Amino acid sequence: MVENIEAIAGTDGMDSKMIQFRQVNKWFGSLHVLRDVTLEVAPSEVAVICGPSGSGKSTLIRCINRLEPIRSGEIFVDGMAVHERNADLIRLRTEVGFVFQQFNLYPHMTALENVTLAPIKVRRQKPAEAAALGRDLLAKVGIAEKAGSYPAQLSGGQQQRVAIARGLAMQPKIMLFDEPTSALDPEMINEVLEVMIQLAKDGMTMVVVTHEMGFAREVGHKVIFMDEGQIVETAPPEQFFKSARNERTLMFLSKILSH
Amino acid sequence: MWLFYLDSLQDALPFFLKGLWITIQVAGLSLVMGTGAGFLLGILRSARIRALNLLLAAYVDLIRGTPFLVQIFIVFFILPEWGIHLEAFASAVLSLTIYGTAYICEIVYGAIRGIPRGQIEAAAASGLRWWQQMRYVVVPQALRPILPPLVGQYVLLIKDTAVVSVIGLTDVTRVGWLTVQRIPNGILVFGLVGLLYFLICYPLVYLSNRLEARLKVEESTL
Ligand SMILES: Nc1ncnc2c1ncn2[C@@H]1O[C@H](COP(=O)(O)OP(=O)(O)OP(=O)(O)O)[C@@H](O)[C@H]1O
Ligand SMILES: [Mg+2]
Repeated sequence: MVENIEAIAGTDGMDSKMIQFRQVNKWFGSLHVLRDVTLEVAPSEVAVICGPSGSGKSTLIRCINRLEPIRSGEIFVDGMAVHERNADLIRLRTEVGFVFQQFNLYPHMTALENVTLAPIKVRRQKPAEAAALGRDLLAKVGIAEKAGSYPAQLSGGQQQRVAIARGLAMQPKIMLFDEPTSALDPEMINEVLEVMIQLAKDGMTMVVVTHEMGFAREVGHKVIFMDEGQIVETAPPEQFFKSARNERTLMFLSKILSH
Repeated sequence: MWLFYLDSLQDALPFFLKGLWITIQVAGLSLVMGTGAGFLLGILRSARIRALNLLLAAYVDLIRGTPFLVQIFIVFFILPEWGIHLEAFASAVLSLTIYGTAYICEIVYGAIRGIPRGQIEAAAASGLRWWQQMRYVVVPQALRPILPPLVGQYVLLIKDTAVVSVIGLTDVTRVGWLTVQRIPNGILVFGLVGLLYFLICYPLVYLSNRLEARLKVEESTL
């Protein structure tokens, strides 16, 4: 009985959090890449993660959909205990979309096929239904006319927008972005950011690893600064830029804002 | 004299064609089964299950590290000791399948390992199960690097079928042996045997070269 009550209280507490990390630790061999990471992301919140190269940003975001397993601590995503051995990874990953720095589109499939593969094979949608939804999504990211093109025929910005549509196709509750604009030519960065900004305004819960501070300012609710596997500072964007106190944060900010 | 031999060889032609038919059956069956099993094991090898991987690696090394002649003897002479009796034809197909599977497994495994990690991660992140990741994302992309060496392997396997004559199967090579005892002109008789193998293999050699060349062009334009 007591266990039961605790369990119920536990999930109750989780309802106001979409993502929750408690004392998460992760090692790559002898390298301690995440150190006691604790964080929370509320529904419809947009969290921006920044920090120097090698600080563990990718690792952290990849733990959310368990592309990386953790050594200790707890991760809850929409009430699911991600850290547990028997966690339902398929269900978790249908609720969480992921956008990679290198796009990772399937080169042997058209843009539309990239978008509809998972809905057809995982959600068991009818191909025609999935295609209709896929076309809507491609229109939403501004490349309806590229549905039949293969990734190699698309620009970097277009490929990344297809990748975002692919992530959205499973109608996820959360979207994760790992440096979505870092591999893009400068003139294509905005077309991708605009799609992400619209998504944020539509109320999507988002975790975004990026150094695009304009994006953080416009739609970010909090900025998380990481260094050497630790979360050094968490603050709303305005406060983060104006009055960051930590000296490591200041050093980092002076570097990225100077160019 | 040559004319006379040519004449008797012409008489023996139906015998050669019968042998050729055996060769084609043995090769065809073992290629089809070896391809199926090789793909399956190659895909399983990339699942990164420790025990399974060790087992498959041992199998592949064992097969590749021993002569096929010895393998076929083991299947034909030693299995009966354990109460498993196979006819020459079944023994030939079985041993060739076991042999071919090992090579094809390595070709498939190697090609799968060459697919960028990000492809598998993208597929996993979208909720596809492991076998779906393989089926829809990884294997279709691996086919291009698989095909040229696979066809090359087919040629090797077809030529290796000649070994099955040692267990008494009357394939085209054994027909050559039997014929040369009646028509003592080795050049003529085995020239014909060689020609028959060449007629089957050359189209595949040609195909393999074409596939290889196409792959190179595609790689350089990427
Ligand atoms: N698969 C891996 N195996 C071993 N070490 C790894 C692996 N992935 C990352 N690391 C190491 O873990 C540390 C954190 O890497 P991570 O990719 O999370 O950093 P990051 O903050 O995303 O950096 P960047 O800005 O360069 O993308 C780095 O030192 C990296 O070398
Ligand atoms: Mg990174």
